[in-house]
Amino acid sequence: MKVAEALKVMDAGWVKKKKGYRVYFETVSGDTCTPDMMPGEKDPPLTSDVVAWRSAWKLTQASHPENPQLDGAQLVNITVVDDEGKPVPYYATGSYKIFNRREA
Amino acid sequence: MEQQLFPNLDRYQAILHQYGFDLIRALAFLVIGLILMKLIARGVHTLLGKTPIRPATSATVVNVVKALLLLVVLVTAATEAGLDTRMVFRSLLVVTLAAVALIMLFRPYIPSLPFKPGNTIKTGEWLGKVEATTMINTRMRTFDGKTVFIPNSKILNDFVVNYQWTPNRRIKVDVFIGYDQDLTKAKQTLEALMIADPRVVAAPRPVVYVLNLKPGYIELGGRAWVDNKDYWTVRCELIEKAKFAFDRAGIKFANNKLDIHRYDGEAAYGPHSDGQWESETWPEEMRLMDQKESEVPS
Repeated sequence: MKVAEALKVMDAGWVKKKKGYRVYFETVSGDTCTPDMMPGEKDPPLTSDVVAWRSAWKLTQASHPENPQLDGAQLVNITVVDDEGKPVPYYATGSYKIFNRREA
Repeated sequence: MEQQLFPNLDRYQAILHQYGFDLIRALAFLVIGLILMKLIARGVHTLLGKTPIRPATSATVVNVVKALLLLVVLVTAATEAGLDTRMVFRSLLVVTLAAVALIMLFRPYIPSLPFKPGNTIKTGEWLGKVEATTMINTRMRTFDGKTVFIPNSKILNDFVVNYQWTPNRRIKVDVFIGYDQDLTKAKQTLEALMIADPRVVAAPRPVVYVLNLKPGYIELGGRAWVDNKDYWTVRCELIEKAKFAFDRAGIKFANNKLDIHRYDGEAAYGPHSDGQWESETWPEEMRLMDQKESEVPS
């Protein structure tokens, strides 16, 4: 096997490079629950998981009934996903984390 | 008398009578044209400022618009002054072509600034982003918000680091681990961390070196290449993530420490095992210090 071929094998099978990250959350208003992402799926994703997790935490802190921007709604099940929409482990702990967890 | 003082007065009067109105009109066209040119250029600059176009590109567009408007104003004013339009146009064309030819010919010999507006540079003691350059000075904004005007002559005579001359920069993530830690695991952890970051470029690949075996710790050097614009944030985030990743992998960072070894033998200076001091064995300066202290009145 040539070095270049071995490198391709490593790239495909060892550490996968993500293309970006998004903050996933669900907006609960009354009986309706609407999934959403920040940035939206049509916008380019965040390139930093640190920023994504920080944003997720800030959204969690801002999700309370007194927030006029939310108009009574609540943001639940806040987590970070990759460009394919799969959950990403929290870089600080290495395990999956969901803020404001609410069972469906 | 007047004829003696001003022999050409009649001739001037005749010229003014014939062309005076045209000249005044041409002058008015020139002044109004220049004012309009400035207003239009400012408008274009404001308009482009609202678009995502980069400031450097925007400045170039504004300069081109200015040059074209200036050409139009000059030709109009000259025509109004009674000059032949074709002749004026040809003259301006010849002057422009001559200027371009001269610039192209002597360009290698003209000292130019080694950066463009928008570049991050370091010159002398100043580090910041170039906002604009003129014939006299360069306006730079430092990262703590100061605006510095640096004379171009000073820049040309000093060293300049242009951080955007090349598209990428190398990040150094140096970590220190103890000799009792798993070196291979530490290397793998750091390398995987750098590879996984989307902003770290695939080629050249991230590498981890064992830089030094120092007294008390092993120095590991992670090296990864990123785009210039991402340099600072990626560097800081990789350091943060390295801390967490090493914690998870159970690898402990080296701390500054001082090993103290106990020696139970006879001291060279100081009290003997019976508690008595042997002053004869003390160095001369210690004896003098003792003497001085005893002389201080209580």
